[in-house]
Amino acid sequence: MNRKKGDKGFESPRPTTHQVVCINNINFQRKSVVGYVELTIFPTVANLNRIKLNSKQCRIYRVRVNDLEAAFIYNDPTLEVCHHESKQRNLNYFSNAYAAAVSAVDPDAGNGELCIKVPSELWKHVDELKVLKVHINFSLDQPKGGLHFVVPNMEGSMAERGAHVFSCGYQNSTRFWFPCVDSYSELCTWKLEYTVDAAMVAVSNGDLVETVYTHDMRKKTFHYMLAIPTAASNISLAIGPFEILVDPYMHEVTHFCLPQLLPLLKHTTSYLHEVFEFYEEILTCRYPYSCFKTVFIDEAYVEVAAYASMSIFSTNLLHSAMIIDETPLTRRCLAQALAQQFFGCFISRMSWSDEWVLKGISGYIYGLWMKKTFGVNEYRHWIKQELDQIVAYELKTGGVLLHPIFGGGKEKDNPASHLHFSIKHPHTLSWEYYTMFQCKAHLVMRLIENRISMEFMLQVFNKLLSLASTASSQKFQSHMWSQMLVSTSGFLKSISNVSGKDIQPLIKQWVDQSGVVKFYGSFAFNRKRNVLELEIKQDYTSPGTQKYVGPLKVTVQELDGSFNHTLQIEENSLKHDIPCHSKSRRNKKKKIPLMNGEEVDMDLSAMDADSPLLWIRIDPDMSVLRKVEFEQSDFMWQYQLRYERDVVAQEEAILALEKFPTPASRLALTDILEQEQCFYRVRMLACFCLAKIANSMVSTWTGPPAMKSLFTRMFCCKTCPNIVKTNNFMNFQSYFLQKTMPVAMALLRDVHNLCPKEVLMFILDLIKYNDNRKNKFSDNYYRAELIDALANSVTPAVSVNNEVRTLDNLNPDVRLILEEITRFLNMEKLLPSYRHTITVSCLKAIRVLQKNGHVPSDPALFKSYAEYGHFVDVRIAALEAVVDYTKGTFACVFLFISLVDQLWKLMNSGTSHDWRLRCGAVDLYFTLFGLSRPSCLPLPELGLVLNLKEKKAVLNPTIIPESVANNQEPVNSTNNHGQSVGFQNTEDDHLIKETASSISGHQQGVKRKADMPLGSPLEPGQILEKNEDSKVKLKIRFSNSQEEEEIDMDTVHDSQAFIYHHLNMLERPSTPGKEQSSGEVNMHPVSAAPLSVFSKESNSSKHSDHHHHHHHEHKKKKKKHKHKHKHKHKHDNKEKEKDPFKKKCTCCSWYFLWEGKD
Amino acid sequence: MLQSYISEIGRSAKSYCEHTARTQPTLSDIVVTLVEMGFNVETLPAYAKRSQRMVITAPPVTNQPVTPKALTAGQNKPHPSHIPGHFPEFPDPHTYIKTPTYREPVSDYQVLREKAASQRRDVERALTRFMAKTGETQSLFKDDVSTFPLIAARPFTVPYLTALLPSELEMQQMEETDSSEQDDQTDTENLPLHMSTDDSGPEKENASVLQQNTSLSGSRNGEENMIDNPYLRPVKKPKIRRKK
Repeated sequence: MNRKKGDKGFESPRPTTHQVVCINNINFQRKSVVGYVELTIFPTVANLNRIKLNSKQCRIYRVRVNDLEAAFIYNDPTLEVCHHESKQRNLNYFSNAYAAAVSAVDPDAGNGELCIKVPSELWKHVDELKVLKVHINFSLDQPKGGLHFVVPNMEGSMAERGAHVFSCGYQNSTRFWFPCVDSYSELCTWKLEYTVDAAMVAVSNGDLVETVYTHDMRKKTFHYMLAIPTAASNISLAIGPFEILVDPYMHEVTHFCLPQLLPLLKHTTSYLHEVFEFYEEILTCRYPYSCFKTVFIDEAYVEVAAYASMSIFSTNLLHSAMIIDETPLTRRCLAQALAQQFFGCFISRMSWSDEWVLKGISGYIYGLWMKKTFGVNEYRHWIKQELDQIVAYELKTGGVLLHPIFGGGKEKDNPASHLHFSIKHPHTLSWEYYTMFQCKAHLVMRLIENRISMEFMLQVFNKLLSLASTASSQKFQSHMWSQMLVSTSGFLKSISNVSGKDIQPLIKQWVDQSGVVKFYGSFAFNRKRNVLELEIKQDYTSPGTQKYVGPLKVTVQELDGSFNHTLQIEENSLKHDIPCHSKSRRNKKKKIPLMNGEEVDMDLSAMDADSPLLWIRIDPDMSVLRKVEFEQSDFMWQYQLRYERDVVAQEEAILALEKFPTPASRLALTDILEQEQCFYRVRMLACFCLAKIANSMVSTWTGPPAMKSLFTRMFCCKTCPNIVKTNNFMNFQSYFLQKTMPVAMALLRDVHNLCPKEVLMFILDLIKYNDNRKNKFSDNYYRAELIDALANSVTPAVSVNNEVRTLDNLNPDVRLILEEITRFLNMEKLLPSYRHTITVSCLKAIRVLQKNGHVPSDPALFKSYAEYGHFVDVRIAALEAVVDYTKGTFACVFLFISLVDQLWKLMNSGTSHDWRLRCGAVDLYFTLFGLSRPSCLPLPELGLVLNLKEKKAVLNPTIIPESVANNQEPVNSTNNHGQSVGFQNTEDDHLIKETASSISGHQQGVKRKADMPLGSPLEPGQILEKNEDSKVKLKIRFSNSQEEEEIDMDTVHDSQAFIYHHLNMLERPSTPGKEQSSGEVNMHPVSAAPLSVFSKESNSSKHSDHHHHHHHEHKKKKKKHKHKHKHKHKHDNKEKEKDPFKKKCTCCSWYFLWEGKD
Repeated sequence: MLQSYISEIGRSAKSYCEHTARTQPTLSDIVVTLVEMGFNVETLPAYAKRSQRMVITAPPVTNQPVTPKALTAGQNKPHPSHIPGHFPEFPDPHTYIKTPTYREPVSDYQVLREKAASQRRDVERALTRFMAKTGETQSLFKDDVSTFPLIAARPFTVPYLTALLPSELEMQQMEETDSSEQDDQTDTENLPLHMSTDDSGPEKENASVLQQNTSLSGSRNGEENMIDNPYLRPVKKPKIRRKK
């Protein structure tokens, strides 16, 4: 909706004031739900004779309006986006159709899937604008989205088995489990009733009024009341045999977890009250709901989901007191969830384009919490990290728009035409885009804070909250409830009211417009004028960038102190003269004052004798969403690293120093490593930089391998330096350093490009002497990282004549490594570590060994670990490995075609039960094939324009805009791989961790997705699949930096693996009878692997050969033909999958049509 | 004849005495025996008092050999009051002194660590090999299944439990470290092993931000029963007339 309208309150033709949801029966065995809803509607317009509601998946038996039977129509255009098996296969077409389908049921536009005819007897009643009560009986059978059943396959009653069910979904997804007006902007009060097995607990929104047994005493009914007006999208439910823990500090807070996890729950939630106190204090506002519930469940859709007065978390966030690494992560999740209680649940949004305000505020106050809890360093590090992420994403995809305004629905005006999806609706957004959107939102909030001060900022929040809480206690008729909705304009207005400042330019720059700023800076010192001539250029032509005009802070550290200068960046001025305060070398002896007032002695011998400049920083406070590439000489970076106290500056300096492999850089890095006052993340980063520098300096390096003596000094026994001390992780800083250093050291290479023997032995000794008996904390993460270190030390095998890898010709070093890995992996079976971190590392290491040609490449191992029933982290690792098989290998075009087909089906109709999954499928399709018709597809029978010859000329270029352009030239750099992989791994580590949440969310979400084909509800297949695709994305992102050319093939192959898995896993749990498929699935990787050594040319030529070849064939034989080919099985498989798939979809969509009673 | 007669008397007398549950024959036993054997006991006194009986002189008294005094080391402990005086004395004090005889333990830190490490490694390897031998395995090499056997991955029914809950070993360790923590303060100096546990230096304050909040629990647990939380309230019985 647009801004002007927003202020006056949202007008809906069918505002609901109260809704009753009653679920009478939940059957875990059959995964079904039966219940009814009753909506109280106040018509606002006369002649309202049709009421549109949202409902998906539900089977609706009966609709009554004021006790009169009413006819209804069910039509959901999103079930199948493109009808009639269109031959289009082009993403542009799909995206438009999808956006249209979604807006056709958009509740904010008064639409919905379910259209109820108000009985004619009531028309008069309606014209008098009297209350209508709509009563709908519905049931839900094996829901694929919205509600997720987790039913472990074992003996015992459902409660004993730990079976549970919970609501989930991306954005407004409540319509998946009961009919409602599924919008964030339509508020009403709620009465919720759930009748469940006596051994179960139903947790839902609002206050639990009472729990009553049914007459047979075998079930009980939970009655909830939610008197605060709440949007349907914020309604949630979790039912299971939960253990109940009342928070010892706040009795109105209750925690729930699955059986046996109570001790973990106690520990994990013991911290929550502090978060509460913090938010209530800064917002000077009490927590708006009368109670709060946290539920920890398995197979969560996302790590954290916030709903009115309750939050649903992944059970994997629980941890015991012995775990170090997970603790801050979990606390962050808790804090995030709580921040969203205030902004997101209590205060909802006016329309989708106001989403950024909510995400921004909740992200911003969460940031304040971080700053208070983890310290300023951690906070600034986080901001930097988020900034880098958003910048990288925007530059890659072309921009994230926070506040899209849609004028008149003309597609031409589409503000996001660079994207392959529409940003008009939350449901069409790529998940990755959405995470970046949230990230940008809170960064922009921080920019606003910079402009108007934190005090005013908090006042604004307080104002929003207090208005909302006044409104929440009002009756509906007073039309006050819209105060509980936040809109962009309302938010901006209260900012200007409170602060009196005009932030319009800022909003225009960052909110109404997408893109980030890219600065290139360089400088020269003019000795005569004693002036610093700074040149700042901008790149505002590449995609994802915008021009910045306005103030820019530059900090110059001179001999006499640190000085801030605010430059005005204008249209044409590139050069800025900044007068220097100090004459060079005037006062050698004096201490040098820093920004923070500290005065330090510096060894100035390294600097340029003519210039008083120590270092220069552009936009040190990150008050512009930008990427800065600044040139200054190596000694300046070194000074910056040593003496600048800002962690962001230190990190920047470390990154810059990678390009200066000199003894001076080495010294600076080593000093930082040793300095205990230095922020631990900076020190960790320094480890990796030092490894890189050491490798570049390998011929001139003197002394023991980098970091070895340092590690010995810090962590080994004084008397016997080859033995590491028994573990004591009380000091977390040194714990993290101890973990990281071996990983970085393993990246060292000698002149032969091998990992020095000394280093390998050192790491093996660390493993050997690792002794955790006296430690208060678990060492599982440490051991896992030691295995990562082993993996990092692996270099490509010297292969003689492509011999087959056997035990006999195993390199002795590798034998040692393998010995360790085997033992660790086996021990994990007997004594599993927390979150199976060690298994994860072992799997990764095995894959590295395979990839480097030490061990035969065989995906069977990973496949077994990827199956449903393994811990989710393990499955992700295994899947990553499986996907990796396809890297660099070449598959024939047949696969592409089936892949296109399958993927198309998936996004067209296979994923209608999960927005996120569908968008994920779209992303994957886009990554593989680009916006237009996939080039590998045979021409549509309609015969577009092309014939064989032309095709090459026309189709391929169309794909070029994205990385997919490289489609035809995959590069097989198996040899380079080893090294780059090594580096990647470590870098990726961070990335992976960051993205982990989204991935795991993803994959989990995925769980309940694609089962459609087989009609089995949530399935691992899905999980997998989503994993896969998010992984694909990951890979792309990573590889961009180093292996540009490979990208494309990688992803292509990724997707194949993805499909396998999809197939493979899909079949498994649902119908044991189909197990055969898993066997067949093996076919591909095995066959593909040997092909991996193709050279560039052969690849491309082959590719096109196949291409044509297939093209011909295809024309003749048409699609159903089974090619006599290795992949025959695969086809079979696919067909198996497709058939039920299709049937089911079509059934569904028409099933409800006119099912009414008339 | 005489000998067998006498031995028969002895034997029967013993039998009589044992018959009455004694070990030492008494006069009456012999009397009964003689009666049994048809000897007129009454004639015995007369016979004893006959005039011309032979008197055998008592053997000459030889000096009792002096038993050499046992080697005493110090004073025996006197009996405490509750032990009757006729009981034997306590053993000599030296019997309470123990003299350990085992070998000097190896206390060289390096050797100890070395030993502990290799021992653990051997145990682990043996155990995993055993498990691998007795169960299903996977292998990295097609041609050789035995050198690097991997225990086959088996899916769990409830995967999160094993992944999240600390293993029993860890639990045990945790208890141990908890209890040993107090000791640590006192005897850090004595034990060579503790040379590793210093190093918790100046940064403790920084670290404490992340530090686990162990101080929780305890104090408030008592109140929990009083807490009015809707989830703790008893479940109500159904009313007879409930709106449904």
